Amino acid sequence: MLLNYIKIAWKVLLRHPFYTFITLFGISLTLTVLMVLTSFLDHLFGSHYPEVNRDRSLYIQIMIRSDSSRNSRQTSPMSFRFLTEHVRPLKTPERATIFSFFNASNAYVGTRKIKLNTSYTDAEFWRVNQFTFLEGKPYNEQTISSGERVAVITEDFKEQYFPNAEESAVGKDIDVENTRYRVIGVVTGSPITRLFTHADVYFPYTAPKSNYQRESMNGQYNAIVLAKHKSDLPAIQAEFQERIRRLPVPGVDGDFKYANINVKSETYVNNFLSIILDGGPGLKAALIGVISFILFMLIGLPAINLVNVNISRILERASEIGIRKAFGAPVRTLLWQFIIENIFITFIGGAIALVLSFGIIQLINQSGWIAHADLTINLSVFLISVLVCLLFGFLSGVLPALRMSKLNIADALKA
Amino acid sequence: MINLQNIEKVYRTSTIETLALNNINLHIRTGEFVSIMGPSGCGKSTLLNLMGLLDAPSAGRVEIGGETVTQYRDKELARLRNQKIGFIFQSFHLINDLSVLDNVEIPLLYRKGDASGPSRRQLAREALEKVGLSNRMNHFPNQLSGGQKQRVAIARAIVGQPSIILADEPTGNLDSAMGNEIMSILQQLNADGATIVMVTHDETMAKKTHRLVRLFDGAMVGDSVLMSNA
Amino acid sequence: MIRHLFKLIWNKKKAHTLLIIEIWASFLVLFGLSSLIVFNVSNYNQPLGFTYENVWAIDLRNNQDTVAVTAKMQTIMQRIRSYAEVESASRMSSNYPFSASTMNNNATHDKATAMAYLFVADGDFAKTLQMPLTAGRWYTPADSIGKFRPVVINQLAKDELFGNEDPLGKVITSGDGQYKVMGVVETFKSKGEFQGDKPTIFEQLNENAPWDKTVLIRVKPGTDAVFEAKLVKDITSMAPEWGAEVTYLTDSRQNQHNLALVPVTIFLIICGFLLINVALGLFGILNVSIARRRGEIGLRRALGATESSISWHFVGEMWVLATFAVVLGLILAGQFPLMNVFDLDTGVYLKAILISVVVVYAIVTLCAVYPSRQAATVQPAVALHEE
Repeated sequence: MLLNYIKIAWKVLLRHPFYTFITLFGISLTLTVLMVLTSFLDHLFGSHYPEVNRDRSLYIQIMIRSDSSRNSRQTSPMSFRFLTEHVRPLKTPERATIFSFFNASNAYVGTRKIKLNTSYTDAEFWRVNQFTFLEGKPYNEQTISSGERVAVITEDFKEQYFPNAEESAVGKDIDVENTRYRVIGVVTGSPITRLFTHADVYFPYTAPKSNYQRESMNGQYNAIVLAKHKSDLPAIQAEFQERIRRLPVPGVDGDFKYANINVKSETYVNNFLSIILDGGPGLKAALIGVISFILFMLIGLPAINLVNVNISRILERASEIGIRKAFGAPVRTLLWQFIIENIFITFIGGAIALVLSFGIIQLINQSGWIAHADLTINLSVFLISVLVCLLFGFLSGVLPALRMSKLNIADALKA
Repeated sequence: MINLQNIEKVYRTSTIETLALNNINLHIRTGEFVSIMGPSGCGKSTLLNLMGLLDAPSAGRVEIGGETVTQYRDKELARLRNQKIGFIFQSFHLINDLSVLDNVEIPLLYRKGDASGPSRRQLAREALEKVGLSNRMNHFPNQLSGGQKQRVAIARAIVGQPSIILADEPTGNLDSAMGNEIMSILQQLNADGATIVMVTHDETMAKKTHRLVRLFDGAMVGDSVLMSNA
Repeated sequence: MIRHLFKLIWNKKKAHTLLIIEIWASFLVLFGLSSLIVFNVSNYNQPLGFTYENVWAIDLRNNQDTVAVTAKMQTIMQRIRSYAEVESASRMSSNYPFSASTMNNNATHDKATAMAYLFVADGDFAKTLQMPLTAGRWYTPADSIGKFRPVVINQLAKDELFGNEDPLGKVITSGDGQYKVMGVVETFKSKGEFQGDKPTIFEQLNENAPWDKTVLIRVKPGTDAVFEAKLVKDITSMAPEWGAEVTYLTDSRQNQHNLALVPVTIFLIICGFLLINVALGLFGILNVSIARRRGEIGLRRALGATESSISWHFVGEMWVLATFAVVLGLILAGQFPLMNVFDLDTGVYLKAILISVVVVYAIVTLCAVYPSRQAATVQPAVALHEE
């Protein structure tokens, strides 16, 4: 039966190449946009190189302190010392890393200037994040405590800095802001969209200018806490909150008198959202409004369009429907026939969209628009797309099919 | 009023050629009420279409009200149809989405620069009064009976005060009572000065006209004046 | 005739609902897009207020070095000014032009108040950025002796705080401080061409304070990375703990442009696809509906409609549909200027509405032209015989 329906659907599509084109165009375009968008969101929020353990990680990025009247509020990352005191002793996690947010800098080679981002990290950084070492190895606790001036660089930076890319960079020196460092490892870079792990050059936190000795609570460091298992995350959050709650308030830090301290450990998505939505409920409402409007337009408009095209197509087939009805086809059969026809065409559109999305994603990855971008169509992206296809086909088929089933036989035959 | 000379009409498809009309010569004078009869497919409707300038002959000359239209372009043909000719069809051809008054008004819409909105509606009302439907002006066609629909169509045909009325089986879809009613309206219009050409299947209707033209297989096989009515 | 078309559409409004919704939604999408574009274009047309070519920003960080920061800073400034390659140098707060950071504060004068962008800079700022003054003069070190700290404001700040009053010599209150206006510049679009001018106040830098350690330098044209490397090396030899990062303003300007243009481009592409989609849909629907209405077309032809009046009829119907949609859309879009959403200029919304209306009509016309032509070629006789 189903095969029969599909055969009919195929014939109908061939009979009206123009409508088939319009329909397919609309469907594949919409689905392409959705797929690329999903893929991009997955790129932003999913667990990907080198943050492959993101799903069992908590991010500690921002400390918010306010005075007793809450007139003055300070939001900033924390100092190395503060994080060492309060994150290191946590018992529930498997491990934790403390590292600075990347900072822009320049290196000079002859008459050339190379722009680069630097980050200061501890040794755990290389265990929490799974970087691929093309050459050499990461620095460990020993290297750090000995105060050796070493650096891990990315493949891209190596190519820019060293004229001979064939040779190994390990053991060679780089000069950043008038300080020399010995390269001990070369890794594949992390894209700029992964703000916590992105950098071109990684230094041990004991390197010059890292400010790890800073006494204040605020600073330029973040932490990632890795749980043994995903289910441990709430326990870790509770343990960390307990420590933060026990911090003495009110207190004085530098010349800032604070009465409240709030540091959150959040999953990546929540952390991202809380920072974006920090502007207060007004901004949140506006953001949600704008996003839902765009989504509505993105899905709603093509859907309405499809329904419209479908309705006019179905009226064109009124006499066919009339004959089928006259020969005793029950309404439900006709309804299903039309819906299946629609889902069928949606899937053809979906297949085209998959190819298009794949092309666009390759284009984005290769354009260098986002350095080291690694957008993919993985299983979850694909499944979401299939689901959207089904929904889309169903929705755009039901309304016209209902209208068709109401068609009176005599009228249908006459038209 | 209408003059057809050596008319020929050929329908061509890629495989066959059909001769719909063959060497028709017909002269219809002002004020005549002519009926055209013949079996299905004999070319009656084609002939009517040619007279109504809805179609062009393959060969021959068509004259309407003294104007030879052979060389006329679309604009001039449209003007003639609009001003000199009124159409009545078997299946009425009313626009279902428009009210009776709006339907009747249509020909006036295609008239250049003439009549403002209110005066157009006034003319439409007058036309509807003539067919006795002034109480149904704001109804929609699907709320009317067949006879009423045909009266609306007649009102539409006469609203532009054309000198020629072409009717394509105007009583074909109606029962005899309604048919007679329509027929008497047409006769009244004819008495008021309109030239009427009517295609019909119905012998009794044809007998109420002045002149009967018979067609068979695209050729004129008879042209008789019914003196009793003239 | 227009009345006729309106009646025809109105009486069939149920069948046309979805079509109207579709055009309505397209109108709103267009409105969003054109607001964004009009906003950016109108910003772009305002003068920038300064020049940025050959200007570098040196961001200095003292890190953990807290010993004699001001003295070191002054030495570094002297050294920078001594280079032959440096035409002019100015020390300022970290929010240098096109940078990511901003400072703003409420400023008041009498009862007028304005949320103003604040820049702390020394006396060479205007010279380094080649900013023309429209009134008064830029402050000099000699001005720091007075009771009030000297400031220069831009025209917008002047308009909001002083109206038609002459601001020179008047006092502005901001935060805990009081400031005396020394001069007025025209505009200062610190975030690049695509951001609108904002009320701006330039406050004299305190050379004895340890903060505000960004240095803007104007170098001679053609100065390259060799000098830059030397500069960084010299600074970090004078203060070994310190960090020095050099940014070309042309680069940071590009970043700001990307920030403004990338969303516009993405939005433009998506809207473009949406509109193509809608246009094709309308085209298809119109084709079907004309095929279905061949009888009616024939009738109209029989009643005296010319070919062109049939064409216009269908184009007209689409215009009427579009008018319904646009009127509905205007009710919504009209709220934006009325309620001052997103704090944009009313003119931006009005222009955007105008553009969207024109484009919507253009799209429906484009979609209607071909099917309407087709409709006009329908032979009256053929059309009537179909039923």
